[in-house]
Amino acid sequence: MLNEILFALEAVATWQNLLIMAAGIWGGVIVGAIPGMTGTMAVTLALPFTFYMAPVPSILLLVALYKGSTYGGSVSAILIKTPGTASAACTALDGYPLAQQGKAGKALNMALYSSVTGDFISNLSLIFLAAPLAVLALRVGPPEYFMLMLFALSTVAGVSGNSLLLGLISAALGLLLATVGEDLYGSFRFAFTDNMQAGLSVAPVLIGLFALPELIKLIVFRAASRDIAAKLGDQSVTRAEFMGSLKSILRGSSIGVVLGAIPGIGPSAAAFFSYGEAQRSSKNGENFGKGELEGIAASESANNGACGATMIPLLALGVPGDVITGVMLGAFMIQGLTPGPLLFQTNIHEVYMLFIGMLMSSVLLFGAGKMTMRMFSYVSHIPQTLLTPVVLLLCLFGIYSISSSMFDVAILLIMGVVGFGMFLMNIPAAPFLIAFILGPMIEENLRRALAISRGDPAVLLSSPITWIFAVLIVFVIGLTVRREIQKSKIRKA
Amino acid sequence: MKLPLNRGPLLQGLAIIAFFTFVVLVLIPAYVPRPAFIPGFAPPPDMWPRTVSIIGAVIGLITVVGALFGRGVPTEQITTDGASSKIHFLRFLAVLLCFAGFLILVPLIGFLLSAVVLIGVAIFLAGERKHWVWAAGITLVGPFLLVSFFHSVLGTQFPVGALTKSLGF
Repeated sequence: MLNEILFALEAVATWQNLLIMAAGIWGGVIVGAIPGMTGTMAVTLALPFTFYMAPVPSILLLVALYKGSTYGGSVSAILIKTPGTASAACTALDGYPLAQQGKAGKALNMALYSSVTGDFISNLSLIFLAAPLAVLALRVGPPEYFMLMLFALSTVAGVSGNSLLLGLISAALGLLLATVGEDLYGSFRFAFTDNMQAGLSVAPVLIGLFALPELIKLIVFRAASRDIAAKLGDQSVTRAEFMGSLKSILRGSSIGVVLGAIPGIGPSAAAFFSYGEAQRSSKNGENFGKGELEGIAASESANNGACGATMIPLLALGVPGDVITGVMLGAFMIQGLTPGPLLFQTNIHEVYMLFIGMLMSSVLLFGAGKMTMRMFSYVSHIPQTLLTPVVLLLCLFGIYSISSSMFDVAILLIMGVVGFGMFLMNIPAAPFLIAFILGPMIEENLRRALAISRGDPAVLLSSPITWIFAVLIVFVIGLTVRREIQKSKIRKA
Repeated sequence: MKLPLNRGPLLQGLAIIAFFTFVVLVLIPAYVPRPAFIPGFAPPPDMWPRTVSIIGAVIGLITVVGALFGRGVPTEQITTDGASSKIHFLRFLAVLLCFAGFLILVPLIGFLLSAVVLIGVAIFLAGERKHWVWAAGITLVGPFLLVSFFHSVLGTQFPVGALTKSLGF
């Protein structure tokens, strides 16, 4: 095995391969940082270029783009409250307040360190734990998915701000909006127009809800500090700050690895899950959502932790877990490689090269992140009166480019107004978004589980995995109720 | 007994109950059709939206009960320029007109020119007066740069206007 690894190391560590990976990471970071442009878009666009490349560099290019774009999503989330990807939504909750406090550099640094750590742990898990995690993933059926997603939804309790009730109402609205469009069996729900039959895309809802209310607030209220640029402030993350967040980073990476290995879950759910867990267990839990570095660490380590792990079911079972790995499956097939158990027998050399390349890409991600950070953090220097309209412009063009649909642009603008209305009514936006993203997965798996069991709800508690999550859900509800009672007592006092 | 009524959360709770009740009683029967045949024992398409709406209405009810017993929600202070509520409302109306105007203008003068108008108005409404050179630059050059970027990288064809078709945008 050692010989194989050394041989693979020698084969991967050529300047051409390093250049390809560096280009992929850089491209991914920039794509991820542009609102409306996604990692899926970057990977799909790069696919034709891989036709002319050797198998391993072509896969490494796609993996590098995926990793880079996942990290890149945090850049716009922190600087302009516009998550470049859905998985960076939780990063915006703490990153943007930090940027407003003049700590954009610190937030970006923490996002980078957590992303790289999560990514590295994810790659190691891919190398050493692919087989057991793939077996675990096979045991996860609709009831387990449902309980897992329900547990991830409990994050709502943590991001509800001042009122749990308003947070729950926000989540109910998000779940309801997610039902618009075609359902599992082809029924069109709430399809008031033809465009609505396909449902509402995540990107316009996400960006509209987070980014546009900032512009409307600026126009309507015109706060005194609107034309003053924020100072960059202290850039570096101190050793104490990093060590204080290390537990959340390691836990977030593990959550990312386990959830990433399960097909269909992906980095967004992992980030929500990790953020909720970090908030519940942190001694700074009350600061989450107000500019807490640990929140960024939890979210970013989980979403990048899921990146490498999504390759586990692809390589070990030949099952793509999401759209990006679906595109990668196509790339493998084009290159004459068939992912699955046989890949480890017939193309073990390529597999080791891929593993080594992925580890190297973690180092390159760190380098690319550091190099782009200074450039990106200068965005904080731009006065709000210029920056916020520019964000609107980026959002309009980015959203239109995703689907070439004016309907999505209209949804973006409407969600901006809805987000502003929610702000006025003191309803937090984050639970809405979490529920909107998790809603379809929760519903689909609940209906599948009930269909399998012929309508018997006992199926939801039919395996050890479902029981574990049921106990965790009860535990979280208990903790939340206790915290609310304590809050209420403090308010009265 | 006089209850310490908290009017804000009470109205909020009532609005929430009204919304979710409207969804359950009006929207779901009208806009969530049940297929004539559902394979196996699968729950019907209205099961989930109905469940969510009922839960939403119950939470609204809890908010109302809380408000009746004086349990409000602590509100965050909004920093403003000190203008009256009427001015704030007029500014909000301007934003709505701006967004609606953009959607109306796109079929007429195309995406590019509509974006130029929207960004210019947005910068003006945001109160930017100091950096007018930058504001003009962003308004006039920004949309053109983005069109060329998205067109060259992704091949995106932005909508052209009925009035400006002959000019190519």
